[in-house]
Amino acid sequence: MSLTVEAPPAERTGTSPSRRRRFGFHARMMAPGILLLAVLSLIPLFTVIAMSLSRVRLLGGVSFGFVGGENWARFFTDIDLAVQWLRTLVFFVLTVGLEMLLGVGLALCLWKIMRGRNTLLSLLLLPMFVAPVIVGLLGRFLTDSTFGLYSWLLGLVGYEGDLLGGTYSAFISVVAMDVWQWTPLIALIALAGLTSVPQPLREAAAIDGASGWQALRSVILPSISSVLLVALLIRSMDAIRYFDIIAVTTNGGPADATKVVPIRLYETAFRFFDLGYAAVIGLVMLAVTIAIARAFVGVLERKGLTR
Amino acid sequence: MTAGAAIDRTPRRARIGVAILLGVALLWTLVPLVWMALSSFKSDADVTSAEPTVFFEPTLDNYANLFTGANDLTPYILHSVLAAGISSVLATALGALAGYGLAGSRMRGKKHVAFWIISTRMAPIAVVVLPLFLLFRGAGLIDTIPGLVLAYLTFNLPFAIWLMSAFFAQVPASLEESALVAGCNRWQAFRHIVLPLTKSGLVTTFVLCLVFSWNDYAFALVFSGPNSQTLPMAADQLVTQTGIDWGQLTAIGTIVVLPMIVAGLAVRRWLVTGLTLGAVTGE
Repeated sequence: MSLTVEAPPAERTGTSPSRRRRFGFHARMMAPGILLLAVLSLIPLFTVIAMSLSRVRLLGGVSFGFVGGENWARFFTDIDLAVQWLRTLVFFVLTVGLEMLLGVGLALCLWKIMRGRNTLLSLLLLPMFVAPVIVGLLGRFLTDSTFGLYSWLLGLVGYEGDLLGGTYSAFISVVAMDVWQWTPLIALIALAGLTSVPQPLREAAAIDGASGWQALRSVILPSISSVLLVALLIRSMDAIRYFDIIAVTTNGGPADATKVVPIRLYETAFRFFDLGYAAVIGLVMLAVTIAIARAFVGVLERKGLTR
Repeated sequence: MTAGAAIDRTPRRARIGVAILLGVALLWTLVPLVWMALSSFKSDADVTSAEPTVFFEPTLDNYANLFTGANDLTPYILHSVLAAGISSVLATALGALAGYGLAGSRMRGKKHVAFWIISTRMAPIAVVVLPLFLLFRGAGLIDTIPGLVLAYLTFNLPFAIWLMSAFFAQVPASLEESALVAGCNRWQAFRHIVLPLTKSGLVTTFVLCLVFSWNDYAFALVFSGPNSQTLPMAADQLVTQTGIDWGQLTAIGTIVVLPMIVAGLAVRRWLVTGLTLGAVTGE
């Protein structure tokens, strides 16, 4: 861009910097990042769309053989995949639901205490920083049937058996690991919402004779509802993104009990090297995330938070 | 828990209830981490004893073995530091410029650009891995550090742009305007007035980018090889058909987790803003 002449007077006063130039200062600041992002996101997007319409060969150099809608036709008749989507939905509802419930509960408890809140919060936040792959491996360690600490504890109350070996118990275990890792995020966001509830509002509720439970339901929760919605959407988008915990604990097993869509995608792409069909699965996942992202941006706009 | 003593107008019974709940939450949260750290100092026999051992003869063998055996951990650490570090520095730098532009810009279609950025950030990793796998194979980027850096930029760059723009939006426009009136050019006003005011934003963005990429497993699983394996892959590789050396694994786990905990807690004040991509501000 050879548009850098000397700065026009309008720009010096800072009233309307972008009016004088074809590309204003802000656009030029954005350019490097946005261009790199475009390269990093659009080229892969077009590639994955092309993949979904092809049979991809890897041997002797990557080559695409156009097959039209063949992969997509398979998608609509794939019963296994439908089951996996259903399982993903159950996993999603359980983890995100529990995390919201426990996270908000935890935030309310923290909100009630005055001394030591920051220290306590810091300790409770620790799981968020743990690499999901470590969460999964640590889960395996704790639930090992011969020397796992949690298996031993469960043995004390009469439960014997390999937690990750049974279909139901494996599913519950991976849900529990996800809940362990991400409940703190919800608690953190909810607490930020609670601390910004204006004091007069709380006092008014107390004067009106509202019991603790009534005040919570009719005054406090409604006033943090938009914050909770943000927490829900952020967590939802990430819940679809991540699959590391399942990958290193059960990798979809036993007997497909924990095979969610991302695990299926990896298996299709990198075990069976059916990259065309994997691309179809991926594009559908992308569509779901984009729908949630739309809702997220919608919330921000209603709150006037997008700039 | 005795931490929560001072509560106004809350009945005693409720206070005890809150304390118990927090105590349970604390146990649920910390026991796995403490157990991991403890186990990393145990001998093999103590790690795999059927009865959990709390009192034991501590040993540094697990850590020593990580750095002396055939599978030296040093290159893994180096790869992790390089891949996560470079991608985070690049993302934060470009994100600061672009975020400033996005916050101040009044162009048409800005909403669409913003939406595009956020949907790039939220794209499932499994979906991004597929095309990158083919593109990287073509470009010879499989099993290289630049390949991992690019892969991490796919989520760190949109995150950094979006978050930095949220931080820039909080800087009053009048400050920049008075700098311009005082004779600064636009770059000087950005560099010397606006940027220093978003120092906490820069640090938060950098730390969160670092955590995301340091903890990555999904990309490293597909793209890394002998020349680029990162720490999470080192942990993964200890899981073999013949069994798992849990002493070493808990030691690696501790090494992976500790720096991120320190970095994460260092920016705790801005974590809410960072992790909600600027949608919620705390404290």
